[in-house]
Parts: sequence; structure tokens; C-alpha cells
Amino acid sequence: MTTRNTYDGTRAVVIDPSVALRLRRAGHDTGTVLWRDMIRTTRQPEMLVFAVVMGVFFLVLFNYVFGGAIGAGTGYDYLQYLLPGVLVITALQGAQQTSMGLAADFSEGVNDRFRSLPMNQSAVIAGRTIADALRNIAGLILVAVIGMLMGFRFASFGGAVAAIALATGIGYGFSWLGAAIAAKVRQSDMVGMLSMFWLFPLMLASTAFAPVESMPGWLQPFATYQPISVASDAVRGLVNGMPVGDTITLTLAWIAVLLFVFVPMSVHLYRKVD
Amino acid sequence: MRTSDAVIAVQHLRKSFGSVEAVKDVSFEVGPGQVLGLLGPNGAGKTTTINMVSTLLKIDGGEATVGGFDVRTQPEVVRQLIGVAGQSAAVDEKLTARENLELFGRLYKIPRGKRSARIEELIKQLDLGAFADRPASTYSGGERRRLDVVAALVADPPAVFLDEPTTGLDPRSRSELWGTVRSLASNGVAIVLSTQYLEEADRLADEILVIDRGEIVAQGTPETLKQDLERDVLEIQVGDRNGFERARELLGPDANPATDAETLRIDIPVHGGADRSLALLRQLQDGGVSISNFQLRQPTLDDVFLALTGPSSMEAEEITT
Ligand SMILES: Nc1ncnc2c1ncn2[C@@H]1O[C@H](COP(=O)(O)OP(=O)(O)OP(=O)(O)O)[C@@H](O)[C@H]1O
Ligand SMILES: [Mg+2]
Repeated sequence: MTTRNTYDGTRAVVIDPSVALRLRRAGHDTGTVLWRDMIRTTRQPEMLVFAVVMGVFFLVLFNYVFGGAIGAGTGYDYLQYLLPGVLVITALQGAQQTSMGLAADFSEGVNDRFRSLPMNQSAVIAGRTIADALRNIAGLILVAVIGMLMGFRFASFGGAVAAIALATGIGYGFSWLGAAIAAKVRQSDMVGMLSMFWLFPLMLASTAFAPVESMPGWLQPFATYQPISVASDAVRGLVNGMPVGDTITLTLAWIAVLLFVFVPMSVHLYRKVD
Repeated sequence: MRTSDAVIAVQHLRKSFGSVEAVKDVSFEVGPGQVLGLLGPNGAGKTTTINMVSTLLKIDGGEATVGGFDVRTQPEVVRQLIGVAGQSAAVDEKLTARENLELFGRLYKIPRGKRSARIEELIKQLDLGAFADRPASTYSGGERRRLDVVAALVADPPAVFLDEPTTGLDPRSRSELWGTVRSLASNGVAIVLSTQYLEEADRLADEILVIDRGEIVAQGTPETLKQDLERDVLEIQVGDRNGFERARELLGPDANPATDAETLRIDIPVHGGADRSLALLRQLQDGGVSISNFQLRQPTLDDVFLALTGPSSMEAEEITT
């Protein structure tokens, strides 16, 4: 029930908002934070560069330096194998920026104001993850174009769109993991370091750059089913017009798991006060 | 609640950080149009008190209400009634002043039409025009401070918390801000303002709460406190150690605890100004104490605290500063 009470005879306050009003306000707040984060994104174009630079680095390094050696075992032209993996890595890098951005909010102090405002506190994270997902799409298109300049070919336009959507989706899931870390440690330098702990193992022990058969046996079960691998495999199938098996389903399942665990966790950690 | 019309009411507020008791027992009430000055040295507990009442920190013990709503159980309602300018600026560095105010105005749910009019009004009132369209990261300390204060006022809240709002401001900006605080008060806003400046508390506050190490050590209107706080200090430099001991004997309880045996200095609070000072100096001279130097000076905040809290506080303060 929404009760409007004029506590001093002149001012209306919402004391007990209905669920509908709560949701409407959460949407309004998320939109507002998104607006703010989009302004920040346009003021920091270097963030987009940081988001793609690692992907491009891997693209060039693996394709031109290790390409022959790894490519032999993939059954693909190596660039056709590599680019989908790099797209997923790029989305992951974008997710890491959610961590950095949220930590910056803490160190700049703006979070202190958000906390004193009559707003939905989850909106601070929700708005940011959406802004980061939008920037991620721009980054993914940029990497795809660079790949095409290197000779990569998408099998179909629909496949390209689906691939970028799926990569954005897995990036979005990891954004909430990043948000949880930032809400816990609240310091930019710590966040940067902690990100390495999940980013690198997932990235390197995956099928993003090389097929699972090239890895030691004990690593293969993990490397087959971890989120970056299934997402890379799914994206690879989509861009090459090849069968995807259950990899899309598995990717969607991973996204659901990430959101299920880290949305409530990051909101809880963010709200926590001394 | 003692008086039912208090906008902000705080009773026996407590807060510890580990073994540090930051706030031990703080109570006050602020009615509409009233300004409460929280006066205290570094680490006194001013920020901690303000942060608890403004929903930013968990309250360990005691009670706080704003507009009759419990800060602990109804923070969402309280946040609709307050504006906070914390000790460190809480604005988005990448956004301009206008964008920051637009952001906070939207989050306060101020209707669109009213919002832009209010923002323009505030920009004019606190003279932000010159830098309103530059990102806040390019602001000087004082400019950022002013933006932060304006951000607290966007929603025209009935209760406003300003934590050392004039620290780092030049004299002109400071007096402009004082003007803003006065006009807020005359519009019926209840204001809690912390400061380290006696003068500021004197000029703005209807009631002053002097706090030290988490406790209220004095409370009253500026007028009632003035007698305790605004006495001159006679600073005497004694020639040698024997004279120093002799002087202490002669002065007895008159000598302020701030005697310093190392530098042979004695500070004496004097109510009667020049006459009383001369009498004291003569008394020392007649007693055979050689005085190498002396001056009569305005009290500092240190003197205020010495006067109010005694020697143990002096030591504690020296450790924390
Ligand atoms: N998060 C914290 N963790 C541990 N101790 C804290 C914390 N915040 C404050 N304190 C301690 O609580 C005491 C009161 O601090 P507070 O910030 O309220 O002082 P203050 O009166 O605002 O001082 P200042 O004039 O320097 O701003 C200090 O001793 C401080 O060290
Ligand atoms: Mg403080």
C-alpha cells in the first residue's frame, strides 16, 4: 500500500510504497544511473580502448605468432577459430571494467551521496552493468571489424548478431561478479588485483585460443565446461555457421547461474554499512 | 521526543569502531528554522554523529529520528527528508555541476519542470555559474565543496546536514555560504552544521554543542557559551625554572593547565582583559618571578577545550593531532 503522509503538514513522503511503485522507482533510478554512466563512458573513450586492447593483442599474437602451431589441431583456419574466442575474452574484459567503475564510485565518494538519497540502492549497480554491456557491444563490434581486416569472415549476418549478443550476455553475467568484488573491497587497486584471479585462469584454461585436446588431461574437464569455453564454442559455431550442439544452452545456463548468485550478493554487499 | 515539533531528534547516540568509542552519548534536538552547531576538534565524533543520523552509518545505540521517522527502521523515509553534504565531497567527478545536480535531482524524484528551475536557482545562489559546465574533476577544492553543498539542497529538504561546509573556502565563499545557511533557516529548514571554527558556530548556530572524544562537554546558545569560551588568554614566558615553579605556586588554580615546563610557558585565561592581566603580571613580579615575555591573545579552539575539558583532554588531543 502506498501511504502518503504529510509529516509536517506541507511535505508528502512515501512511507510504505506498493510493489508496483517500488518497481517503477527502481526502473527510474536504474535509468538515471544508466544516463549518468553513459555520460561517463563518453567522457572516458580510453575505457573502450582498454576494453578491446587485450583482445586485439591476443588476436594479433596468437594469429601471427602461434597461429600455425595451434591452428593445426583445430580443424579450422586458425583465425576463424581464434576470433570467436577473442570476442568472448573482450566481453570478459569489459565485465572487469564494471569492477573498476564501481570501485571508482567508492573512492570518488559519490557512493556516499547515493546512499543518502531516497533511491533504490541496487540501481547503482544495475545501471552500471547495463552501461557496461552497451560499451561492450561497441567493443565487440570494434574487435570484429579488426578481425575482418585481418581476413576473418562471418558465415552470416544473423550469426554475427547472435554471436555478439551471446558474448555480451556472458560478459553481463560476469559484470555482476565484478560488481560483487568491488562492493566487497571498495578499493580500485585491490579490485584490479583480485580481477586477475578470476580473469586469467578462466581465460587461459579455456577453448578461447586452443582446443581442449591440446591441454593436459586433468585440466580437460574444467576447460570443457567452464563458462568461457562453452561461450567460445557457442560463438564459434554461430560465426562459422557450424553446429553448436548444447553450447548455447550451456552458455545461457552459466549466465543464469552468474546472475542468480552475484546479483543478490553484490546488492547485499553494496548496501552493507559499518 | 521532548518537543513534538523537533525535526531532528537524537537521544543517547552511540557508536564504536572496534575499541574506539567514536560517539559515547550525544543527544540533541533541532526544530524547524534552527541551526545546531556541532563544534569540536579532530576526532571529536562530529562526522560519525552526522553520518549516523543521515543513514550513512549504522547506529550502535540510542535513537535518532528525522521528521518523526526512525532513522534505523525507516531509513528510506528519512532519506526523502534530508540533504547531506559530507566532510569529503560526494559528487561525480566526471560530470559537470549541472549534470551532477540533474542526477541527484532525478534520484530525489523532483518533477522535471521544477527540477531545472531549482537547479538554476541554486547555481545562481551559490555562484557556481563560472564552472557549472566543466567536469567536477577540474574544480578547485572550494568549488567542489560548494557544489557538494548545493547537491544537498537540490530537493529542498526540511533537514540538512552540513559537515564542515566551509573548510577550504575563501572568505568570500564562506560568507556566501553563511548567507545560504541563514536563508535556509529562515525558510524553516532544520540544520545540523559541524565546524571547527568558533566564529562560524557563533554566527550561525542557535544552539552549540561542544563535543570532545564522543561526548558533549558544553551545550547552549552562543550567548551563554560565550562567557566560557571567549575569554582572552595571557601568555607568559618565564625566565627560568625556579621562576616557573614559583609562578605556578603564586597563580594556583588560575593557571591554565597549559603550563609547559619545557618551554617555561604559562597560559592564563583572563576574564577582565587588560586590568586583570596587569594585576596578574604585577603579582608575579612582586613574587620575584622574572618574566621574559608576555602577550594577551584571543582564545583558540585549544583554549576553549582546555577550559571546558581540563588537562586529560589536552593530553588526548595532543596525541590525536
Ligand atoms: N571507519 C572508522 N573506523 C575506525 N575508526 C573510526 C572510523 N571513523 C571514525 N573513526 C574514529 O572515530 C573518532 C571520531 O571520528 P570523526 O570522524 O567522527 O571525528 P570528527 O569530529 O569528524 O573529526 P574531524 O574534525 O577531524 O573531521 C576518531 O577517533 C576516528 O579515528
Ligand atoms: Mg569530521
